[in-house]
Amino acid sequence: MTTTETPATTAPAPTTSGRRLTTAKAMVEGIAQEMERDPSVFYLGEDVGAYGGIFSSTTGLLERFGPERVLDTPISESAFLGLAIGAAVEGMRPIAELMFVDFFGVCMDQLYNHMAKIHYESGGNVRVPMVVTTAVGGGYSDGAQHSQCLWGTFAHLPGMKIVVPSTPYDAKGLMTAAIRDDNPVVYMFHKGVMGLPWMAKNPRATAPVPEEAYEVPIGRAAVVREGHDATVVTVSLSVHHALDVAEELAGDGIDLEVVDLRSLKPLDRETVLTSVAKTGKLLVIDEDYLSYGLSGEIAATVAETDPGLLRSPVRRVAVPDVPIPYARPLEYAVLPTRDRIREAVHQLVRA
Amino acid sequence: MTEVLFPQLSDEDPDGEGVLATWFVDEGATVAGGDLIAEVMVEKVTGEVRAPASGAIHLTVSEDDVVRQRSVIATIF
Repeated sequence: MTTTETPATTAPAPTTSGRRLTTAKAMVEGIAQEMERDPSVFYLGEDVGAYGGIFSSTTGLLERFGPERVLDTPISESAFLGLAIGAAVEGMRPIAELMFVDFFGVCMDQLYNHMAKIHYESGGNVRVPMVVTTAVGGGYSDGAQHSQCLWGTFAHLPGMKIVVPSTPYDAKGLMTAAIRDDNPVVYMFHKGVMGLPWMAKNPRATAPVPEEAYEVPIGRAAVVREGHDATVVTVSLSVHHALDVAEELAGDGIDLEVVDLRSLKPLDRETVLTSVAKTGKLLVIDEDYLSYGLSGEIAATVAETDPGLLRSPVRRVAVPDVPIPYARPLEYAVLPTRDRIREAVHQLVRA
Repeated sequence: MTEVLFPQLSDEDPDGEGVLATWFVDEGATVAGGDLIAEVMVEKVTGEVRAPASGAIHLTVSEDDVVRQRSVIATIF
């Protein structure tokens, strides 16, 4: 085992009334509260200071905590991620931002050979309590090198936890849990769930968030919509699309259950299996590439445990194994859009 | 009554228009001075609007409305 278990804390249930925040602001509030509580927490990365993070992941932190705890770095991912790892093994709790996950290629040795393996290589004697935050996802014509999700790539490699919030509530709670965790945690936020005014409007990106600090336990999925006709397993922005389609199809008498995985590592296989046992049908939606990834892992989980749970073959909606196009119509042809999801649901429930 | 103004985010174009991006409070809600009530945007620069007073808020513009900077976007009674 390269990870140690942290006891889960019970989070307060999301309230239906009360203060609302965007996902971006909820994420920042989680960081700020932990920085307030624990002087060993600090944030570093490109444009995280005065700019506040290019996707508003650090707005206001520099003004509040100063340049010794909110560090703008040069464009040198390998160096500043190495800095964070060094600080973490010496007892600090750094949060290092990789501006776009697409840039992991220039720093992956630091992440998967050092950050993720030091605990194991040291026989469990050295802990690496750090968080890597990174922006993922497409849908806004940013081209093949700025639109990928790549969580399957990270989740494939042992030694790091992976969390992927889709809501303001989970964004704050998973951030708090990630910072307090003694293991390296990769926190992947989709630009489309942040509630940014200059991106496509997303009503699901603004929602009630408790003011006090709380944790959303890492490794636990959420059934965000209960239904009986089919199970839709997904993560991140695709959760919003799945819920949109589920609400629309409810009018046609199709009752979907939607599972938001929230964490990819550890993966809450139990919640997936329980849901599939109930519905007998499974659709996996993934904004990452189709092959060798999350959608295959979920399908394998069911097949390995009890293929008899399924009353029809598993369906997958993911990015076909091509680079994400810049041209808007082509980009939307490969992304898991509501149209593609709706069509897959129809095929699944008819099967 | 206290008026809530769209903040001036652009010094170069102080009379320019902006967008009321997100209301974090509902019409008629009770707000406390300092509460985050809205996010606004001028060009691609965003800013927060905090309640200048406590009381019940009346929203006078809707989300996605285009309004001039420093114009009234809500009133608090």
